[in-house]
Amino acid sequence: MAKDHKLKAALDRHKGVDHKLERQKKLQKQAEKRKKQKRKDKGQDDEELEIETFSDDEQPTKDAQALITAQLAREGVAAEAAGELEKIDGEGEGWETDESEDAEEGENGGIELGALEDESESESELDEPVRNGNGRQNGDVEEDEEEDEEDIPLSDIESLASDEKGDVISHQRLTINNTAALERSLKSFALPSSLPFSAVQSVTSAEPVQIPDIEDDLSRELAFYKQSLDAVKEARALLKKEGVPFSRPADYFAEMVKSEEQMGKVKQKMVDEAARKKASADARRQRDLKKFGKAVQVAKLQERAKAKNDTLDKINILKRKRQGADLTTKEDDMFDVALEDAATTEKTDRASKRERGAAGGPPNRKRQKKDEKFGFGGKKRFAKSNDAKSAGDGKGYSVKKMKGKGGKQQRPGKSKRAKSA
Amino acid sequence: MASVYKSISKKKPNGHPRDEDAALKPKNRQRLLILSSRGVTFRHRHLLTDLHTLLPHSRKDAKLDTKTHLTQLNELADLYNCNNIAFFEARKGQDLYMWLSKPPNGPTVKLHVQNLHTMEELNFTGNCLKGSRPVLSFDRSFEEGGTYLRVLRGLLEQAFGVPQGGRKTKPFVDHVMSFTLVGGKVWVRVYQISETEGSKSDTPTDTPHDPSTNLSLIEIGPRFVLTPIVMLEGSFGGPVIYENKEFVSPNQVRADVRRQKAGRYNRRAEGTLERKVKRRDLGLRTGEGERVVDELDERRLFA
Repeated sequence: MAKDHKLKAALDRHKGVDHKLERQKKLQKQAEKRKKQKRKDKGQDDEELEIETFSDDEQPTKDAQALITAQLAREGVAAEAAGELEKIDGEGEGWETDESEDAEEGENGGIELGALEDESESESELDEPVRNGNGRQNGDVEEDEEEDEEDIPLSDIESLASDEKGDVISHQRLTINNTAALERSLKSFALPSSLPFSAVQSVTSAEPVQIPDIEDDLSRELAFYKQSLDAVKEARALLKKEGVPFSRPADYFAEMVKSEEQMGKVKQKMVDEAARKKASADARRQRDLKKFGKAVQVAKLQERAKAKNDTLDKINILKRKRQGADLTTKEDDMFDVALEDAATTEKTDRASKRERGAAGGPPNRKRQKKDEKFGFGGKKRFAKSNDAKSAGDGKGYSVKKMKGKGGKQQRPGKSKRAKSA
Repeated sequence: MASVYKSISKKKPNGHPRDEDAALKPKNRQRLLILSSRGVTFRHRHLLTDLHTLLPHSRKDAKLDTKTHLTQLNELADLYNCNNIAFFEARKGQDLYMWLSKPPNGPTVKLHVQNLHTMEELNFTGNCLKGSRPVLSFDRSFEEGGTYLRVLRGLLEQAFGVPQGGRKTKPFVDHVMSFTLVGGKVWVRVYQISETEGSKSDTPTDTPHDPSTNLSLIEIGPRFVLTPIVMLEGSFGGPVIYENKEFVSPNQVRADVRRQKAGRYNRRAEGTLERKVKRRDLGLRTGEGERVVDELDERRLFA
């Protein structure tokens, strides 16, 4: 057989047949074939995928992981094919960027994820799509445009789903969470752990911050404040330990983040706010006082009215008692005495009051004012002028007097007076 | 490239070999390129300036003209010797996206910026030195939540952490920047650290180094919330290594609202049509359809 091979090789060389090229062509053909089949299957395929993505809503992460595994596995196979086919696609976008390295790593990632997935049930469901995906990818590696096709099904699913669902809009998408790639990129740019604390000054809180209601402004801000305060305390201790200055000395002045102007504005705003608050508090107090004063006045009036009613009632009762006094029996008389006493005392009280008012000190201010303004003791004008009564009164009238006859006798002369005397 | 050359050649320009210690000692060297796309609103612009003032290692550049060829940013970063890019992309004059990247090799994360309040409009009383280095406070969930969160944390740490010994940096620590992860969103706050002389009685005993000072925080601003959307392996390119399933684009939200409103009308219109059809079927409309007359109809009974 070995001889045979050698001979064959020689013949080939003679004919100028390139085995490598042939193999490539063969692979290409295979790929095309698979592609065709895939296109046939694609309709079904997509449906399947769709069903899975929307039926397994409760475990989206698992699904997503599975899909990623599929992608990665695809990539692995693709890389194998690509190794043989050489690198035709040099474009630096999409999954086929740095072919060999990336693909290998991807493969690793895929294996890891695959191992993880053995426990999950979704693998069996996804097996078929994965295989199909492989086929698809194998066909697609050569052409650049095909790369996009790989992404289209996902978006197709999305659009189809939204069409199907109609009015109910779904915001579900397939989560991509490529943990392996994330780890890799984290490693690529992460700061070395040997840096001292003062180089970054980054603190992680001891516990995750829990905020029950994010809409509650006060509790939310308080949680942030607490987290920051704890961080500051820790940072201060660490910085002090490293000998890095922390607090600014009181005499260190430099440009601040907020300008004087801005701070002035802030202060002005605070002053205004305080003034406004004070003014409103004052106004409220005044209002309250006014309301209270009014209440007092009303109470007084009511009291007065009540007192008046009481006395009126008393008088009425008294009157009734008086009317019925003729018919009363002896028992009534006994009460009568007391009541009469009360009435008389009231009367005497009033009288004494009047007397006191007349005799004693000056009347009240209001009376004084009125006396001053209008005079005291009633009307005085026209007091001596005639009225109808006085005009009709003929008491002091005599005709004799008016004629001059009857009146007084004239005084006799001197001689007559001497004679008579 | 100059810095790369320098770091490779390990020789001082005057021919002397560098100090072995200095060369070997790992250093945190960060420079951040901050820029936005065209079409940002004033608020977005103010946020940009706020961040620029807070981060002395940042370099602000003119607005980028393109929104499609973001790979240009890599060249730009190379030009300015920056190894971090914070690119603010405004969409439709209202939505703001923030790209954080590590050129030239990535990774990149695209974040949606929400609840944005700039320093100026917040009117907080806190203030800090321009150029002082912040303490970065991260939530524990960044470590426990998954690998993508650790990548996100790394990117935030390097973009917002001011490296030691920078030209414009000041030697004291007087503010803290906190990143908290709540509900898949990163909430960012900036506080001033104020140390006050406390009396002996009310000082906590757990600070043995300096028992005479009390720590308290005063917020400075700005405030914003970041939602991670997607992570790329390269810098503004490369395969997608993480995509957030729960993220709903603001366009989608707006469209939903609009559709709901449209739905209201559609439902009403449909209802009217249905009613019409029903009435016709019952023979209640004149000239259309026939009324079904059954055995017990008055017309039959009393005919």
